[in-house]
Amino acid sequence: MVQAGGVSSERAARGRRRSRRSRVPSVRLLVFLLAPALALYSVFIIYPLFSSLQYSLFSWAGTRQLGFAGLENFERWLQPGLYRERLLRAFGHNMIFFAGTMLLQTTLGLAFAVLLHRSRAGKRFLQTAFTLPHLVSPIVVGYLWSLMLSPSFGAVNAGLRGVGLESLALPWTGDPALSLPTVIVVNAWQWVGFPMLLFGAALAGIPEEYGNAARVDGASAWQVFRKITFPLLIPAIGTVSVLTFVGNMNVIDVIYAMQGSQGQPAGSTDVLTLLFYRTAFQNPDPAAIGQSSALAVLMFVFIFGVSMLAIRVMRRAEGRLR
Amino acid sequence: MGRRTAPRTLTRNSASQISRSLLAAGCAATLALTACAPSTEGGSAGDTTKLTVWSWRTEDIAGYNKIFDVYEKKHPGVQVEFKAYKNTEYPTILQTGLAKSSGGPDVAQLKPFGPIQAFIEGGNLTALDGKVDLAGWPEEVVAAAKGKKDGKTYGVPFAIQTLHVLYNKKIFADNGIQVPTTWEDLKAAGDKLKKAGITPMATTAKEPWVMGLTHEIFGATRMGGDKFAQDVVAGKNDFTDPDYTASLQTVADLKPYFPEDVTAVPYLDAQALFSSGKAAMYPGGAYELGPFKKADPGLDIGFFDAPLPPGAKMDKPVTPGFADGSYGVNAKSPNQKEALELVKWMATPEFGQLFADELKQISAVPGVSPKDPLLAEMIAKYRSQGEPYSMAVHFGYGEPLGRDAEGEAIASMLLGKMDAKAAGTKIQKDISAWFKPEE
Amino acid sequence: MTSQVIAEPRVTPRPAPRRARTPLKQRAGGVAAALLLWGYAAVALAPLLLMVVNSLRDEASLRSQPLGLPTTPQLGNYVRAWSEASFSTYFLNSVVVTVTSVALGTAVSALAAYALARYRFPGNGLLAAFFLSGLMLPIRLGIVPVFYLLDAMGLLGGRTGLIFIYAASGVPFCVFVLTAFFRQLPDELEEAARIDGASELRIFGQVMLPLVRPALATVALFQFITLWNDFFFPLVLVEDAAYTLPVGLTRFFQEYGLTQSLLYSGLVITTIPLVVVFLFATKQIVAGLTAGMSR
Repeated sequence: MVQAGGVSSERAARGRRRSRRSRVPSVRLLVFLLAPALALYSVFIIYPLFSSLQYSLFSWAGTRQLGFAGLENFERWLQPGLYRERLLRAFGHNMIFFAGTMLLQTTLGLAFAVLLHRSRAGKRFLQTAFTLPHLVSPIVVGYLWSLMLSPSFGAVNAGLRGVGLESLALPWTGDPALSLPTVIVVNAWQWVGFPMLLFGAALAGIPEEYGNAARVDGASAWQVFRKITFPLLIPAIGTVSVLTFVGNMNVIDVIYAMQGSQGQPAGSTDVLTLLFYRTAFQNPDPAAIGQSSALAVLMFVFIFGVSMLAIRVMRRAEGRLR
Repeated sequence: MGRRTAPRTLTRNSASQISRSLLAAGCAATLALTACAPSTEGGSAGDTTKLTVWSWRTEDIAGYNKIFDVYEKKHPGVQVEFKAYKNTEYPTILQTGLAKSSGGPDVAQLKPFGPIQAFIEGGNLTALDGKVDLAGWPEEVVAAAKGKKDGKTYGVPFAIQTLHVLYNKKIFADNGIQVPTTWEDLKAAGDKLKKAGITPMATTAKEPWVMGLTHEIFGATRMGGDKFAQDVVAGKNDFTDPDYTASLQTVADLKPYFPEDVTAVPYLDAQALFSSGKAAMYPGGAYELGPFKKADPGLDIGFFDAPLPPGAKMDKPVTPGFADGSYGVNAKSPNQKEALELVKWMATPEFGQLFADELKQISAVPGVSPKDPLLAEMIAKYRSQGEPYSMAVHFGYGEPLGRDAEGEAIASMLLGKMDAKAAGTKIQKDISAWFKPEE
Repeated sequence: MTSQVIAEPRVTPRPAPRRARTPLKQRAGGVAAALLLWGYAAVALAPLLLMVVNSLRDEASLRSQPLGLPTTPQLGNYVRAWSEASFSTYFLNSVVVTVTSVALGTAVSALAAYALARYRFPGNGLLAAFFLSGLMLPIRLGIVPVFYLLDAMGLLGGRTGLIFIYAASGVPFCVFVLTAFFRQLPDELEEAARIDGASELRIFGQVMLPLVRPALATVALFQFITLWNDFFFPLVLVEDAAYTLPVGLTRFFQEYGLTQSLLYSGLVITTIPLVVVFLFATKQIVAGLTAGMSR
């Protein structure tokens, strides 16, 4: 009965409805209803992605398409050499970014959702406060934090020095060991409200009686959370993970604003989308279109493939839970 | 869009059959729209040709409008519209503009050396050989607008940037510091400023290109100037050369005089440190003067060329410089004749002088001198002891750009994560990803 | 087994009934929780507060003291950013592009979602999956072909091309959420209207559509936030006259970079509209965010 996760519930809903839905509409009506969305979506979203595949298989001279190139454009990225190293470096950074975000943002989001689930003073205000950064454009967030983290004129280090924490006034954006974690924290700062709201909604779907019954049996609050609440939240956690994954693989704005289009310093914050952007638009090589399209295809296959796989695994896991 | 009603040429690689018919519809709509729009020429659009010029110099709009007024007076029937875009996004915008089947520029500012190669090979630019005479121009200046493969010239260079160490005259005077003429003087000045609580040199290692320029300013004489770069191009030497790596070390040794956490300093903050009087020196180009004067019109700026570092391979200081860009003609422009006429004029001393006076920059036209005394002095230095900025001239033709590879490696040195030898090896490896020495 | 999460925009968790007595241990835990929550609230809000405060300070004091309060509020910063630095143009572009895209995207999606939810026809499931897959597509990677597509259509550089891309980008999410909502509607209403002789389109427009109004508001708001904040597409696809706020901001940082107080006011101008929207429509936004969990 409990509905915490979306994917399964949607499926269940579909199963139920299908039996009732029996009207067969006229073709004209169907075309009228479906064609606009289908056209818009196919022309501007699907067609370009397929074109990328076509572009990646040809040789280019500037904007002129030359002959069929086979997998030549892909070889640039996959054969041993600097470009493969850069690709792997960016890929690694994306993975760290994803892991860091999951760890920080999802854990905090879950903690806030659980704590706020119980009624408490200022709940509405707290929810608003946590969600507010999510509304700010990622590019604004990036610029704002880069101003605040500047070693010369920034408020963060000035504040730390002001309260005697001189030793913590570090070069946040300038040390390759710190720069990626810094960007992850800034990104989590912006997005933490999102998992919080998702988990909040999932918690609202768990009947109060479950916990009460367990408590009557003498379970502690932690036990109730671990044994009852948490398992019921697993579908929501799965959803958050997939969304975070897709979002993080596409991350560019906040890093562009904070660390520039090259993911500085020394490439320590370079990610796939930045690499793609540079290859497509800041690359003096006449073959830029083919090279960037090949990269786009590689990224596409990976992101879409992993997302699909994750959803399949999630559904199976849910099936087992039930 | 739809700025022009003239017949347009279509790209061969336009998206598909469907989009072709949509294109037709789009053109019809554009034509209808422009026909309805009020014409500034009283409807006689046939007599007037409007040339659109694209630029990355947003700060020059007013100046260029004055310059083109002069041109329009001498060329009745031609109207020049100057449009400027954001510097960092300009390569993207121009790439899109030149690829467009219509609505792109007639004449465009082109970034020097590497970035124009894709346009040249894509057939986006009109070759100027035999049409515009650039005889008597310095070779390294014209090279900025040449096709690497075909050797043809595709642009008329307009500006030369010279590289120096800028300094705040008031801070120098207040601290009793003379313009340094030896490396020891430079270090002594730095130590003295540091003691006085002033950042000796504002710069940043966060943006690799800034460190690339800084290396050219302080290290050019140590590595042996352009001769070294030419040897690399010829396959007689490479970036692991001990003199080259020693020149990287020269920059790294200046770290005590750079701002704290120099790899974390945003470029804007490096500029602000100097313009707000918190830093005494600023290694950079003539192009920085504009923003500094805008931030503080009262700033009294002087310049000097870096003294010879210990072990220098050259016997006197040099003034590195490079052509900052050129004006080329869009091959798809329907106004080829008028556009060529305009770039031809851009190679004359008349344009050069207007450019120097109105925009307060160094014109690439030989013999022209700016009125601004500081700039005049800079170009005089360049003409007497100039040295091509070799990373731009020779190693800007692939990803990663030579200057970026160099800047990143120096940043790693400043962070203590690499020694000079490793940095040289790294630069050699990075550039070798696309660079092959001549046989 | 009905999904409450999707079916109702009301998702703010209902307050649990207060328990009668709280043991001491739990009280201590409560204090720690409150500390964590209020502490983090400060972390969440401080940077935004700093942004507003600094936008009102004068340049000299900002440079010498990164942390401080404005002595006299410098509203001139806003005037300069608004008129001198073209924020008025960017703002107008953002409003036009965002509102049009959201309206277009939501409208076509509502039609499609209705068909998918209420009719049975061959390929229904396949079409639904086709739209759904859009939620997982990294659409930014198609930017190069999109560029040439818009060029071929004569839409490159202006706002119209951007509007089409944006509207299309919202379709998967809208179709998905709206389909779920349409499915929840009881059949009886529809049958009654049909018996009264209403046409299928009339049933859609006058009976069913008004019933999913809250869902429409939710998806519209959700798109609004995403599109208002987007920076990548306009960066590549439009010319300066059509710049929206986020990409206008990158240009602004280039041109006015040495005047920090001005930069802060630019950041505030870009942010304010969304905060206003948020304060007026918190409920819908919360619902929109959580509806996304069904992805």
